[in-house]
Amino acid sequence: MRWELADKALRSDFRRRVEELSGQNLGDCYQCGKCTGGCPVLADIELSPNRIIRMIQLGLEEDVLTNESVWCCTACGTCNGRCPMGINIVHILDTVRLLSQQSKYRPGALEVLTFYQAFLNCIRHFGRLNEIGLMGSYNINSGRLLTNMVKAPWFFMKGKISLSPHKIRRIERLERVFARIEEIEGK
Amino acid sequence: MKYGYFPGCSLLSSAVEYDRSARGVLGAVGVELEEIDDWVCCGATAAHATSPLLSAALPAISCAAAEKQGLDVLTCCAACYSRLKQTNQEVKDDPELQKQISEIIEEPYQGNVRVLHITEVLAREISPEAIKAAVKKPLKGLKVACYYGCLMARMPEALCVDKAEYPVLVDDLIRAVGAEPLDWPYKTECCGAALTLARQKTVIRLSGEIVQIAKQNGADVLAVSCPLCQANLDMYQSEAEKLLGEQLSVPVLYFTQLMALAMGLPAAELCLDKVIVDPMPLLSEKGFISGGVYL
Ligand code: SF4
Ligand code: SF4
Repeated sequence: MRWELADKALRSDFRRRVEELSGQNLGDCYQCGKCTGGCPVLADIELSPNRIIRMIQLGLEEDVLTNESVWCCTACGTCNGRCPMGINIVHILDTVRLLSQQSKYRPGALEVLTFYQAFLNCIRHFGRLNEIGLMGSYNINSGRLLTNMVKAPWFFMKGKISLSPHKIRRIERLERVFARIEEIEGK
Repeated sequence: MKYGYFPGCSLLSSAVEYDRSARGVLGAVGVELEEIDDWVCCGATAAHATSPLLSAALPAISCAAAEKQGLDVLTCCAACYSRLKQTNQEVKDDPELQKQISEIIEEPYQGNVRVLHITEVLAREISPEAIKAAVKKPLKGLKVACYYGCLMARMPEALCVDKAEYPVLVDDLIRAVGAEPLDWPYKTECCGAALTLARQKTVIRLSGEIVQIAKQNGADVLAVSCPLCQANLDMYQSEAEKLLGEQLSVPVLYFTQLMALAMGLPAAELCLDKVIVDPMPLLSEKGFISGGVYL
């Protein structure tokens, strides 16, 4: 794929914001590609980790923030382990995901983000994850069934999903924690 | 020896067999557990991928509780372990973050707890003799591919307790109960982790390949130490078989289930009926269970 390098991109402060938030110096990356060599999701993504870094270096904000590849990262950390420059690539991708939620652009892989939001919603209400709450929340938010709902009957049969969710005692404190963080991160 | 136990959400539901067998094994070697008071979910990948601050605050709540109880944290879930341990270190190293997190969670928290994974406790803090002494029927002749996944191995270097690209802790434990750990190349490949719900295709490809390589290396069974790995490797074998065009059917058990089996612990602690690829035919053929006893 080709990317247009507009004057706007070259003058954007995108790179500086990513560097500040992630605490990583993007100038350290010399595009050796070792991060990408070990990335397990490579076959399913358009932008490899080293390409994402190159694009941030070039200030291609919109192209990076709207691409779905950053949402397909499993945070396995292989890239971090292999980078000869000790760059924390996972931190950079975390930052990109945070920025894409705050930005005016639409995040690239909405179903992954919706799933994460459903997960966190469930924790916000119970303090712990329970599969029933998670599936309910996801299905309502995304308007479709979780892809592996097909596996759910099996879990019920084996008595692995409890129908009465555990709830922590100090749930009000947890609500305040969530609310304060939302305020700080500006979501 | 007593630890603050952080079960984590999975061990209360989809990974009950890990919880029960872990408690059984730890009890058998004299480890006492006290649950961390009112612990909350570690936030897992969902918090990590969407909010750096939340991904530190959630583990901090539970670690602060352990700090108060004066106990080291022991957890079985690789994801919880990774989140708790990294948060604890970050808070310890960064006074600014420490202040911010303590304010957010309304609790003093210094980052002073030790966070330990069950493999670490069993292989490093308990003597191998204690484990050998608890073994009643050694799992002689069982070829085990120990699979570590990525979360345990890819911590920042300073926090890693095992060799990053070729970990051995579970191999040592499997050997201690008389089975044969295999030398194989996919120990730390990623199974696809949390993408299991939203990006199934990726997960089927990744976990299918891991099971395939284990089988090619002669594994009778895969031993895992992470609930997400267990689910991905076990659940998608039929889909992976279609994708790869070959039969897999390799049972995927928690390493604690194998240890519990060797220690002769009761069926309720083994929970061998909870996994999808049935391990019974294999285990009875090898003579470790007598037909139906554990059903
Ligand atoms: S491994 Fe490090 S230096 Fe090499 S391309 Fe990736 S980020 Fe850049
Ligand atoms: S952490 Fe993400 S980008 Fe890095 S190797 Fe793993 S999946 Fe790829």
